[in-house]
Amino acid sequence: METLTVIRSRLGLLLALVALPSSALAHRLDEYLQATLVAIDPGGFLLQINLTPGVAVADQVLALIDRDHDGVITTNEATAYAELLKRDLIVRLDQRTVELKFTGSNFPDPTELRTGLGIIQMEFSVKRGALAAGPHKLTVENRHLPALSVYLLNAARPESASVQIAGQKRNENQSGGEIAFEFHPPPNPSIPVGMVTSLPAFLVVLFAGLRQAKKKWKAY
Amino acid sequence: MNKSIILTSTLALLGGFLGPNSFAQTSPAMGEATKRIAATANKFLASLGESQRAKVVYDFKDEAQRKRWSNFPTGIFRRAGLRMGDLAQPQREAALAVLAAALSPQGYQKVLEIVEGDEVLKKAEGGRLIFGRDEYYVSFLGQPSPTEPWMIQFGGHHLGLNITLAGEQGTLAPSHTGAQPAIYELEGKTVRPLGREIDKAFALISSLDEAQRKQAILGFQMHDLVLGPGRDGQMIQPEGIKGLALTEKQREMLLDLASEWTGIMHEAVAKAKMDEMKRNIAETWFAWSGPTEKGSAAYFRIQGPTVIIEYAPQRMGGEPTKHIHTIYRDPSNDYGAKWWKR
Repeated sequence: METLTVIRSRLGLLLALVALPSSALAHRLDEYLQATLVAIDPGGFLLQINLTPGVAVADQVLALIDRDHDGVITTNEATAYAELLKRDLIVRLDQRTVELKFTGSNFPDPTELRTGLGIIQMEFSVKRGALAAGPHKLTVENRHLPALSVYLLNAARPESASVQIAGQKRNENQSGGEIAFEFHPPPNPSIPVGMVTSLPAFLVVLFAGLRQAKKKWKAY
Repeated sequence: MNKSIILTSTLALLGGFLGPNSFAQTSPAMGEATKRIAATANKFLASLGESQRAKVVYDFKDEAQRKRWSNFPTGIFRRAGLRMGDLAQPQREAALAVLAAALSPQGYQKVLEIVEGDEVLKKAEGGRLIFGRDEYYVSFLGQPSPTEPWMIQFGGHHLGLNITLAGEQGTLAPSHTGAQPAIYELEGKTVRPLGREIDKAFALISSLDEAQRKQAILGFQMHDLVLGPGRDGQMIQPEGIKGLALTEKQREMLLDLASEWTGIMHEAVAKAKMDEMKRNIAETWFAWSGPTEKGSAAYFRIQGPTVIIEYAPQRMGGEPTKHIHTIYRDPSNDYGAKWWKR
């Protein structure tokens, strides 16, 4: 039964390729491009994922999204696909798995997706507690539809000066990688700025006062 | 002596205060060029009928139109403005004259070769209407002006030019160039619209020694542009080899390679951009993915404080070396936003 399904699926793919309009030859065919940009900031992480199914695999991807095959991607179907993708994403901070929260998506019309040119946009965030100052490692692994997919994985340039990317490593097809970064939080804002700036003046006055007192003590 | 110290210190302080990019992209020559381009654009507008004029000029603040550009062909990506195929021949020539005024001779030639390549693709693909020289669109954001900010957009399949002019300032960022086929015959001549880009890139990678290559070559495959059309406002962490680690000769080669994008614009803008890149060369990175043998399909990226350039062969549609996508951005000033955005 399973073999028959595989044969049907391959036959379907072959027919889809044969039936392609010639213009499709100019565009993505049998690959599902999954491009992930990872933004790190002091409050958490953001994964922005652009998904582009090629024309020959678009129906396979659409079958996972448009579950009732009515040609419309509903909010529930979009959320369900986001959850499916989320299950295939493994994100670890310093070896500990962190939980992703689905925060937004944009799905083009299924007819556009079938051209091999439609781009699905997904966004996941990780809110986390206080991060210790110093070096950290964030690893991202994407296990979503590996047989169809090609990947891009990049760290976004941090917007906060307190985060610095120290290095990036990826496996050969970029389905997984590690981002090494440093976190150096700004000085504690609870100490009033006036106190910090007036501290040297206070020390000078104190020191002068002590010297004066010492001289007077010697005079006695 | 004291005066010179004071003057030097004042300039240094002023430089530090204004930042490294503050003097970039401003010159009287640019003002003259903007005046000339605006006059040519007004000639084009005068050649149009009223309904055509209404379709070609958008409000300068129209963000949807500003971002309406793509690598995709018409029919799949809906552009706005005036379609070249809908213009009468004199109007078409007037539209191309605007581009010729705004671009350098070699930049204009590159644009024509990309468009002609799409005409070749149209014939190879059986005459489908979504390809070919008729399927390019022209539009303006704002009224052409020698002093006020305005923008020229010209694009279609594998081309998205976004030219922002603001008096004595101008930029091409962000813009997309591409080619398919990346090599073709026209009137007995071999045409490679993006040929110099890859030739110069191979010369640069070949000039690196083993230790330098170890830094420059990314150990993974690159399947596409990272910051292509639709990725406005995003920026990635630079990778590869830093300009600081290149020899003087290699830095010159890197700048010469970048000039294939910065030099698309007319001479005054190109010179200002190149001067800015020279100032930032130590902080400019060069990265490579793929084989280093000349003629093979390889990805490369140039990234500095005020520039990002990517060149990515495409695996779909046959031989990757014959289908290229590139992007040119300015992380500090896409669409010339710092000159007009409040």
